[in-house]
Amino acid sequence: MVKESIVMGVLYSVLALGFNLVYRVSKSINLAHPEIALVAAYAALVASMQGLGFFLAALIASFIGFGIGILLERGVARPLLGRPPVALIAATLGVFYLLRGVAIEATGSYWSGGSLGDFGTVYRIGAVVFTGSDIAALAVALVALGLVIGIHRFTRLGVAMRAVAENPYGAAGYGLPVRRLTALSWGFAGLLGALGGLAFGLKAGVSPGIDSYVLKALAASLLAGLDSIAGIVVGGFVLSFTEQFGDYFLHNYLPGFGEVAAFIVMLVVLLLKPYGFFGTERIERL
Amino acid sequence: MPAGVFKETYLADMALLRYPIHKAALIAGLAIALLFPVLAGSYGIDQAVALLVFFIGAMGLNIVTGLAGQISLAQGALMGIGAYTVAHLALHGVNVLVAIPLGAIMTAAVGFVLGLPSFRLKGYYLAMASIAVQAILEYMFKTWIDPHQGISIPYNTKIITGIYLGKGLALYYLVLGATLAAALFAANIGRSGIGRAMKAVRDNDVSASVVGINVTRTKALAFALGSLYAGLAGGLYALANPSIGWGAFTLDTSIEYLAMVLVGGPGRLVWGSLLGALTIHTGWSLLAGAFAANAAIKYMVLGGLIAIFVVLEPDGLIGILRRAKEYFRLWPFRY
Repeated sequence: MVKESIVMGVLYSVLALGFNLVYRVSKSINLAHPEIALVAAYAALVASMQGLGFFLAALIASFIGFGIGILLERGVARPLLGRPPVALIAATLGVFYLLRGVAIEATGSYWSGGSLGDFGTVYRIGAVVFTGSDIAALAVALVALGLVIGIHRFTRLGVAMRAVAENPYGAAGYGLPVRRLTALSWGFAGLLGALGGLAFGLKAGVSPGIDSYVLKALAASLLAGLDSIAGIVVGGFVLSFTEQFGDYFLHNYLPGFGEVAAFIVMLVVLLLKPYGFFGTERIERL
Repeated sequence: MPAGVFKETYLADMALLRYPIHKAALIAGLAIALLFPVLAGSYGIDQAVALLVFFIGAMGLNIVTGLAGQISLAQGALMGIGAYTVAHLALHGVNVLVAIPLGAIMTAAVGFVLGLPSFRLKGYYLAMASIAVQAILEYMFKTWIDPHQGISIPYNTKIITGIYLGKGLALYYLVLGATLAAALFAANIGRSGIGRAMKAVRDNDVSASVVGINVTRTKALAFALGSLYAGLAGGLYALANPSIGWGAFTLDTSIEYLAMVLVGGPGRLVWGSLLGALTIHTGWSLLAGAFAANAAIKYMVLGGLIAIFVVLEPDGLIGILRRAKEYFRLWPFRY
């Protein structure tokens, strides 16, 4: 249970960070994110079924995620600049359905799902037992998380992206290519979605239900605050521990509590602390 | 307003039917609706009843999304509350004609409670809260209310003065009457003080509160009204089907409702919702029948429509129709 919480916590963090990156630049939620993860995971599944090897499959999935992210920015987010945030939610919800349909249609007989390979060995760290697929999922997720957080924190590109997220007009005044950096943020969000989906596929096999886990990761995003980056890890862990332990203690009274725990957390956070632990509060002026 | 059309009195400006096209559309629509059962077979009547039920639900969501500007993804689950209330009352022997209004009121109460968080939340936060509510309600349906995926509604509760209301002409005219009443009510919301307050909140809630509108109350009222319609739709759904299961009240239904509003015309309560329901619901039935389409194509068509309309045509189909009408009104002159 502890192991499950740790692995799920990291996976949720990766998936939730994708929501946050988009929120920082576009000030709204990208509801197509779950389907990016799903499409990428299926791309990896199909690729590995064709015998391309795991690393090539992961590369293909990352490219697809990154590409969908950029296309979304160009096709949906940029035309909606200046419209209320609700418009972007509705439009990406449409893309959510579109991508799901494309995934069902394109994968054909693979839609029922499958495993991304066998990582049979069992590892023990103290009393906690990790299976090989857990380790693989953790590795992919940590690489994705480290890469994106590292870029944001330590490189000049990261500074530029933070500047654009903070104040696009000011950033443009300093000569930063705001459009390209915004698109890049969406691309990174797509990449995170893809790698998160891939890690999920490694852990539990690729199945049509992957996107529902990504929707739950939205709760982690809210817990951390929608515009925080490193704080997301706290959100992910709080969510996964609540889910696992809540299910453990309550499943006699509320069967299947783990399925809705994320949404209950989401509702509670929204009511008590809408800006999360690390988010900045918005002050509105006319 | 088109050039060259002036309203000279306040009464004319606030009238229910302001333009000739309103009268023409109303007469044509009523004639079609009243004569439809004569022309169509029992399959057509079933389709029409389903369309009207979704039309009512879409009008409710249009109040929330189009008038008050709050996106809600819980309309499907709210419809479920109405339907299950009717089903459970019917299991206790209550006649459906009594149970349907009770179900609608019950749903409105739930919707009012759901609308209360809006005193802190706005925009996307409310959208996420409604997704969470949809998921939690779905879970409750699955676990407690309807664990066996299907509650059948007793036959004898659908009989009044010897007429069986659950089928055929009686069902059609009952649902049509409810729809007309709901549509009239919705049209009057749009042109009354409540509706104008909702529009002000939609356009800018901070300035709305500055001019003295109680933003929280307006939003909660919009949610309650939207839920009332969802509950009515759910009750009529329970009347039209011999048994109901939670499969009909999932997130997919909610997204379908949102698609109806966005494609038809947000803010145009009656005709926008009707066009949306026609396109999404009946259009889909026809498409599925003609091409033996599967779920994948449904997802693609529906999702593509939502995305395209939000990005390119925020006024929906009704906006396109209005532009066409204005083009031909003074054709071949431009104004």
